[in-house]
Amino acid sequence: MTICSTAFVTLGRAQASALGRPDLPIAVIAHPFGLRTREEVRGIAEQCVDDIARLVAGNKP
Amino acid sequence: MSESAPNSARFEAPDDLDAINRLYRERRWSDGLPVVPPTVERVERMLRHARRPREEVVARVAPGFGAATVERIAINAVLAGCDPEALPVLIAATEAVVEPQFNLQGIQATTNPVAVWIIVNGPAAQKLGVNAAFNCLGQGAWANATIGRALRLVLQNIGGALPGEMDRATQGQPGKFTFCCAENEAANPWEPLHVERGYGRGASTVTVVGAEGTMNMNTHTKDAGELLRAFAETMMHPPSNDYCHGGEPWLALGPEHAEILSRAGLSKAEVKRRLWEGSKMPAGRMTGKDLLRVQDSRGAELGKIGPDTLLPVSHRPEDIHIIVAGGPGTHSTYIPSFGNTQAVTREITE
Repeated sequence: MTICSTAFVTLGRAQASALGRPDLPIAVIAHPFGLRTREEVRGIAEQCVDDIARLVAGNKP
Repeated sequence: MSESAPNSARFEAPDDLDAINRLYRERRWSDGLPVVPPTVERVERMLRHARRPREEVVARVAPGFGAATVERIAINAVLAGCDPEALPVLIAATEAVVEPQFNLQGIQATTNPVAVWIIVNGPAAQKLGVNAAFNCLGQGAWANATIGRALRLVLQNIGGALPGEMDRATQGQPGKFTFCCAENEAANPWEPLHVERGYGRGASTVTVVGAEGTMNMNTHTKDAGELLRAFAETMMHPPSNDYCHGGEPWLALGPEHAEILSRAGLSKAEVKRRLWEGSKMPAGRMTGKDLLRVQDSRGAELGKIGPDTLLPVSHRPEDIHIIVAGGPGTHSTYIPSFGNTQAVTREITE
């Protein structure tokens, strides 16, 4: 699996298909990060960590 | 054994230029400019200048990893309006961009405006009419315009880097339409680029560069030291991928500026060394966030990096590259790189 921000999902999907893995699970996180504080980014990570762990384990959310 | 891929699909199209261009526009097979219809006859004429079979895969082009067969490269060359004799340059350029050190994946999919700049050296440049003199980075020379455009179409149509899809450039740059010139070897007081990079003087080569853009440097000084200082200060550029990662910036020196440096007894290597020293930039000129990025990217190379650390633009002086290009005048061009890329040179052998 991989993690993309919303602005890069199109690229992520197309890239996965080009590499022969069109069903690759992609966790999507709101874009952008650049304007957020480290604390805000940490908060986002805590919100989505369970979903990402599920994707790593091979179960779709 | 070399890889091969099926011949390209054929479309029946009306014998009407407007209708054909509408088809290319709808399918996003162009760069936004009208194309030359790649009829069977035109593609065949182009293919007469290839030594390899049409179905041979020259390269797999990131980020879509489409198969760049000889035939598909020829089709894109026709679309761009290339003379058939230019096909070998495009085949060599396609081979060059997929070398791992060029980092085509990054260059094609990044938000950075990076374009691929093609430099042609050796007898092929003159034979094909690639302009190395007046306005060599501008309009007016058929070979410069069409060869650069054809490589862009290869990158987009075969590599799949469509703007807004896999090409994620925030703004891009005009050089993404076309960016090609020759080196003005006759006006170069030093060895030309291809000789510096290990090829014989009589060889013809193509060099590809991941170029962020062009910055003109107009100075009337006749003093070599002042000239180098002006160049070095232009290179210092805080929001720069070169300083962030240690890159490969380029200078296209106008012949008059090159002569000033040469008359002062400076070799090309010494010019690079002095530019490298003179362009060291205090890391504190970067924004706080960019200072964190450079600490991540260059900590292993430079050790602890603080605001007073002097950042070199590249890992080594020899990573600054110099060509001589253009006609008379007091102008040279600084061409910063994408940072995470190394230029690649290939001999034109077809």
